[in-house]
Amino acid sequence: MQKEAMFRKHSPQDVPVQSRLNKERSAVLPYVLISPLILFIGALALYPTVRTFVESFFGVDPLNPQGFVGLQNYVSVFNNPAVIYSWVNTFLYMAFGTGLSTLVAVLVALGLRVNFRGRAVVLAILILPWALPAITEGIIWAWIYDPSFGVLNSILHSLHLISHYQLWISGNRILTVFLIELVQVWQMTPLSIILILAGLQSIPDELYEAARVDGAGLLRTTFTISLPLVRPSIAVAVVQSLVASLNVFDQVYVLNANATTGSSIMLQTYNITFQNLNFGEGYALSFIAVLITMAIALGLLKITYRRVEF
Amino acid sequence: MRSRLHLARWLVVTFICVWSLFPIYWALNTSLMSNSTAQAIPTHFSPFPIDLSNYAHIFSSTGEYGLWPSFSQSVVNTVIECAAATVVTIVIAVFSAYAFARMQFRFKNAIFYVVIATLTLPAYATLIPLYRIMSQVHLVNTYTGVVLVYVSGFLPLAIWILYNYFMTIPKALEEAAFVDGASALTALVRIILPLTGPGIASAAIITFLTAWGQFLFPLVLTTDISTQPLTVFLTGLQGRFVIPYTLLNATGVLSIVVPALVVMFLNRYIIRGMMAGSVK
Repeated sequence: MQKEAMFRKHSPQDVPVQSRLNKERSAVLPYVLISPLILFIGALALYPTVRTFVESFFGVDPLNPQGFVGLQNYVSVFNNPAVIYSWVNTFLYMAFGTGLSTLVAVLVALGLRVNFRGRAVVLAILILPWALPAITEGIIWAWIYDPSFGVLNSILHSLHLISHYQLWISGNRILTVFLIELVQVWQMTPLSIILILAGLQSIPDELYEAARVDGAGLLRTTFTISLPLVRPSIAVAVVQSLVASLNVFDQVYVLNANATTGSSIMLQTYNITFQNLNFGEGYALSFIAVLITMAIALGLLKITYRRVEF
Repeated sequence: MRSRLHLARWLVVTFICVWSLFPIYWALNTSLMSNSTAQAIPTHFSPFPIDLSNYAHIFSSTGEYGLWPSFSQSVVNTVIECAAATVVTIVIAVFSAYAFARMQFRFKNAIFYVVIATLTLPAYATLIPLYRIMSQVHLVNTYTGVVLVYVSGFLPLAIWILYNYFMTIPKALEEAAFVDGASALTALVRIILPLTGPGIASAAIITFLTAWGQFLFPLVLTTDISTQPLTVFLTGLQGRFVIPYTLLNATGVLSIVVPALVVMFLNRYIIRGMMAGSVK
């Protein structure tokens, strides 16, 4: 009722709307509205990031503070074989995770593009792994992978694919990394699927109709319409999985806690900092990881920010 | 083409159901077995006859494990931390996103760009300093410390979702209110907010689920069961080798009840929020 009254009372010419908007332009109101945001982001995101950078040049071992040490933290991080080992693992995590989750996401999104009865229910089931805590998922999968009683062994054994039960985690390094990353893929692929699906659905139906009139089949339209036009969404999905797998921690912590086979760089950073209490090296390692993440993420911003209009 | 499309769709739907649900079914299956049944070979693929002893261990304060006091405390902690973080995040995000979507002010683009850029700031960037800051101000092992850190981490995504939502609401609505002499704040609270319900729901639900799954920050910022959330409690249990996998799975199942219910009933808001990050 109130809304109707507003529309009725004046025509836009009666009161200069633009001048009111201009007045807001100079007012302090927008700054008041964003001030809590500035406070939070400034104090608890930007300031700590700067501090990570600055303190990576200091010896900040709480038990033995040393002051400015130049690049020494970086040097010792690069000379630490355990760190190098974790970096190699982390790049493997990124390769497995991004490759597998993007491949699955594209295939599944293509299969869900055209609406059908019950699709809403399928989407709800689809996003379930995304919504659950990674820690619980790690515990669930650790039991699936169990060397003595796990269902993975059981199924593969009854299919005669393995002759006896296998040690899946903490044995072979590549296999360990792959299987831990599979748990992360389980969690992060739904987001990629939804992102790509959103892209697919923004392609106008007329394109597909025109192609069908011209006699193009499903494969043809997939390769000439769907995939080329959905490329930006795929790019966003790739970046999100790259960043997630670069930061993999929870799954490694749960599935490989007492062994170093699958150690990721985030786990290494945590151990160096909070187990060995070597804060300086922790900072140096963190900062290198931040640089790599930001470089990847900048690609994402370039893609998404284009859409933002003021 | 039609039959091939149907075949492809059938394959995809089957794959999704098995892929998403089997591990969860397996945890539930295991949690409803005695330890010896779970370790039997050949594997039991259904839990019948159901054995509730694992859940009894969790809901009991006495006996071999007596998990109830610590389990219930960690549930309370999780609920308090998630609810507080969600409320604070959404209140701040609504007002800031509105300012970014509708108002003109100096440095707007620069501030917005920085806020959205922190969306991709990894845990590495802030973990150690936040721990040091929180210990300096004596907020380690407090709800306040955990919630402050959560809010700073979740704000950018909530703002991004709400910003995109505000952009879909026609400006004419507020202009009509301005014509009537309303201030910008009145227009926001009386005209725009009632229309923003679905956007707020998306942002709030996604924030809540993200908070529920947090592990690394609470692992560092909480030191005992008085503030530790479920995730930290779970890994603590896992570290105790006397805890059998059936009991661990039962605790895991209980830890996903709330997020699973949220997905079951509110999935369209979640999906809409997830799509906010996509490129149209």
